[in-house]
Amino acid sequence: MHDAAETVSATLAAPLDEAGLIRAAQRGDEDAFERLVRSYDQSVLRVAMNLLRSPEEARDVYQEAFLKVYRNLKSFRFDCAFHTWLYRIVTNICLDHLRRRKVRREESTVVETDDGSVDRMAQVEENAPHSDPERRMWNRELSAGIGRALDMLTPRERTVFELRHYEGLRLRAIGEIIGTSEEAAKNCLFRATQKMRASLEAFV
Amino acid sequence: MNCSEARKEIPFYCYGECSGETEERIEAHLAECLECRIELERHRAFLDALDSRVEATDGSLLASCRADLRTHIQSENTRRRGWLERLFEASRWHIPLRIPVGAMALVALGWFGARYTPQRFGGLEANLAEPMFSSVRSVESNGSGTVQIAVDDIRRRVLSGSLDDPHIQALLLNAAREESNPGVRVESIDILQNNADSEPVRNALLDALRHDPNAGVRLKALEGLKPYAGDEPVRRTLADVLLKDDNPGVRVQAIDLLTAHHDDSIVGVLQDVVQKEDNSYVRTRCRNLLEQMNASVGTY
Repeated sequence: MHDAAETVSATLAAPLDEAGLIRAAQRGDEDAFERLVRSYDQSVLRVAMNLLRSPEEARDVYQEAFLKVYRNLKSFRFDCAFHTWLYRIVTNICLDHLRRRKVRREESTVVETDDGSVDRMAQVEENAPHSDPERRMWNRELSAGIGRALDMLTPRERTVFELRHYEGLRLRAIGEIIGTSEEAAKNCLFRATQKMRASLEAFV
Repeated sequence: MNCSEARKEIPFYCYGECSGETEERIEAHLAECLECRIELERHRAFLDALDSRVEATDGSLLASCRADLRTHIQSENTRRRGWLERLFEASRWHIPLRIPVGAMALVALGWFGARYTPQRFGGLEANLAEPMFSSVRSVESNGSGTVQIAVDDIRRRVLSGSLDDPHIQALLLNAAREESNPGVRVESIDILQNNADSEPVRNALLDALRHDPNAGVRLKALEGLKPYAGDEPVRRTLADVLLKDDNPGVRVQAIDLLTAHHDDSIVGVLQDVVQKEDNSYVRTRCRNLLEQMNASVGTY
């Protein structure tokens, strides 16, 4: 689906290519900056939301990330792909949030109710115009299970897992984003996968 | 390759993260080892289960994030501009240029005039309950202490009428296509879909499904097209969306609509998706559908 994603980004960025948009934004072209934001902001919000499972925190990450990009765009020298630079900013902010959350021992998004475990984020699904009630129920239980399993990962494992599994990024790119080698990212993904599988055994 | 090595590599094999050589060794081992084949299937089932997680994205959240970002950037620019203006002001006292100062005052009047609502302009608009936005077109002083200011007013109007009213429908169609606020586009599409039997409305829904940058709007358009999922132009668009849309939720909905009508011509599209799709849930859905249709999963 990378091809499709690239096509969509390219369509949004038309008629300028991405490098042209970045250069225009670096010269202070607000319109170019907005188009650049719109090429990536859905993915940024999705990553933040899925990593943090909190709309409030995802909103903060979105603002902080794009304001950082806005303030520092002039120093972007095309040494790496723009999306790698952007994802690096986003994942660093998310990792900070996750680490702070560990320190504060913040409650999980999964809560226990009379009807069993419920992932509060799964309520988003209720608005989706699809699926039968049985499927929704199964998804809700599974989502709660996945939420619990993700909570057991370290912030770093969770980020690598999210980027590889849900965002479909290659391990090499993930290594670049989190500032480590491809091999280290691979080991991290292996540990995360083992923990997730053990935790979700009842569902599979 | 032995079983222990194969099992360590299976997660990366499923993600396509093994080298060609490792892949060949795994496949050779799998061909001979039933237990590892079972392990591979269990791992695939685990990955499929993960893809059932709810996509926690929300169109209205994205819209409000964009609006907040715009506000933050504007206030940041205003702060920067304020600093520059103070600097300019400080240096100006050393330059005795009274005429340009007068001209600047008039420009400033225009600038402020453009930003304040006209309730400040005396009794003229005092009776108007609706908000009005004004900009100053020209300012002229007659030298006797009075000033003539030409003001362009834009007043917000509230229109109401039946959805069958061509004027209302034209406004909604325009809002669905052109409005920069995705929340307004979602609302417009939501209302328009009740009239999707009209061709312009259906075209607007197809247009939104293909081109709208907001996934929430595209999902809403899909909802409106549900009763027309058997029509040829709708099916063509759905097939295109299934192959190109970057949102897995939209792609899953496109599959649901495409397969609601029995049609062997979608086999090629589904086979294409199985080959190219990154999302394992979408891939599995397509694979299962192909099997149900007794079609081969791969293209040859």
